[in-house]
Amino acid sequence: MQSEESLVRRAQNRDQEAFAQLYEEHFDKIYRYIALRIGNEAEAEDMTQQVFLNALQSISSFRWKGVPFSAWLFRIAHNQAVDYLRRKKHTAVPLDESVASNDNTPQLVAEQKLDIERLLLATQKLTDAQREVISLRFTSELSIAQVAKIMGKSQGAVKALQHSAIVALRRALPVTENEEK
Amino acid sequence: MKKSKEFDNVLNECLERLLVRGETIEQCLQRYPEQAAELKPLLETALVAKKASAIQPRAEFKARARYQFRSALQETASRRGRPFFGWLPRWATVVTIVLILLLAGGGTVAAASNSMPDSPLYPVKLATEQVQLMLTPSQMGKIRLCARLADRRVAEIIYMADKGDVHQVELITQRLDKRLAMLVVLALALEAEEESPMLLAPSAEEAEGDRGVSTWANNRAQLRMLLERYAVNHPAALRAILEKVPEAAKPALLRAIVVSEAGYREALEALD
Repeated sequence: MQSEESLVRRAQNRDQEAFAQLYEEHFDKIYRYIALRIGNEAEAEDMTQQVFLNALQSISSFRWKGVPFSAWLFRIAHNQAVDYLRRKKHTAVPLDESVASNDNTPQLVAEQKLDIERLLLATQKLTDAQREVISLRFTSELSIAQVAKIMGKSQGAVKALQHSAIVALRRALPVTENEEK
Repeated sequence: MKKSKEFDNVLNECLERLLVRGETIEQCLQRYPEQAAELKPLLETALVAKKASAIQPRAEFKARARYQFRSALQETASRRGRPFFGWLPRWATVVTIVLILLLAGGGTVAAASNSMPDSPLYPVKLATEQVQLMLTPSQMGKIRLCARLADRRVAEIIYMADKGDVHQVELITQRLDKRLAMLVVLALALEAEEESPMLLAPSAEEAEGDRGVSTWANNRAQLRMLLERYAVNHPAALRAILEKVPEAAKPALLRAIVVSEAGYREALEALD
């Protein structure tokens, strides 16, 4: 298995296979981040494609300074999402059929979809920054340091934002039967 | 203010334990009994938020996006003036260029490399590919080239199917079949190439031999990854356009899907 650094260097040297491998490794994560961030499936699809096309155009500008390649990709996605949210008043569209089914039963998949729909609706009540920190930390599973780099904030500020985002999400989520007990 | 910062740190520590290290909420709370009441609902909410990691892009969108990205990759490479025979040894590149220049002229070849079957330059593209195959010395290199050429054929099939040219789709599918059959034969021959240096390696040079075998194994693993990716991407890209092409082109396109699925399956089995 090749290291990410060597893959990136090969991609910078116009190795198509290396770039295709980076694309495969990061595509789902970037889509998930954007989908949760903007809550609109069609726009999320277009923007995800655009992130990788932009990365293709500007990969020569990427400098390896110990920051993972994914952080650079997320930064591109972040900029696009900010630009999109600034230009458009967005509306959430349920992410129908966009749930990993794997070997789950139809009932489990249906429950999963319902959970995600509830979550998407709840995140629409959060501020943009809160939604972003939730997306990066809990669905893209990035560290505080990586999130801080992507958002251009200090780690302390991200921790505080993470706290306020979870509190806001807690308030926005409908109370389920289990939680009432 | 200081207290709030401390709590942010504690919350983050618990989230790391919960989401990364797989601890339970109860285990996290036991570490911080004083903050347990405040932490519990937040950690429960974090677990709910984690459910969004099951969001996946639609399969059709993924196939379409992958194909478009591949096309953009190829376009970028040719626009930047990448040497067309970049993966050939220098001597082979020189010989190839001389041969092709004699046949057609440099500008023609460059233009032909991206041509589609409805272009007058397409025969030059096919001829160039034949020369490339002849001049690629190693079995491994030939297999990689066959896979790249199969990738081109799939792009051409999609292009011609979109135009509703059934005859061309059938012709290119035959070429795809031929190329994948060659790939299978080469992959089977690869076993023999792999075994011989190991048998001949003298014991005094074991270390050097090991390094050679390890590089070879690495190349083989990369080749396998490439074929596995194509085995998924090619049929998926062809399937993705099935509903969009004219009705008359569908049987030929279905045949192309069968050919690509069977070809890669056999090639991967041959590599095993």
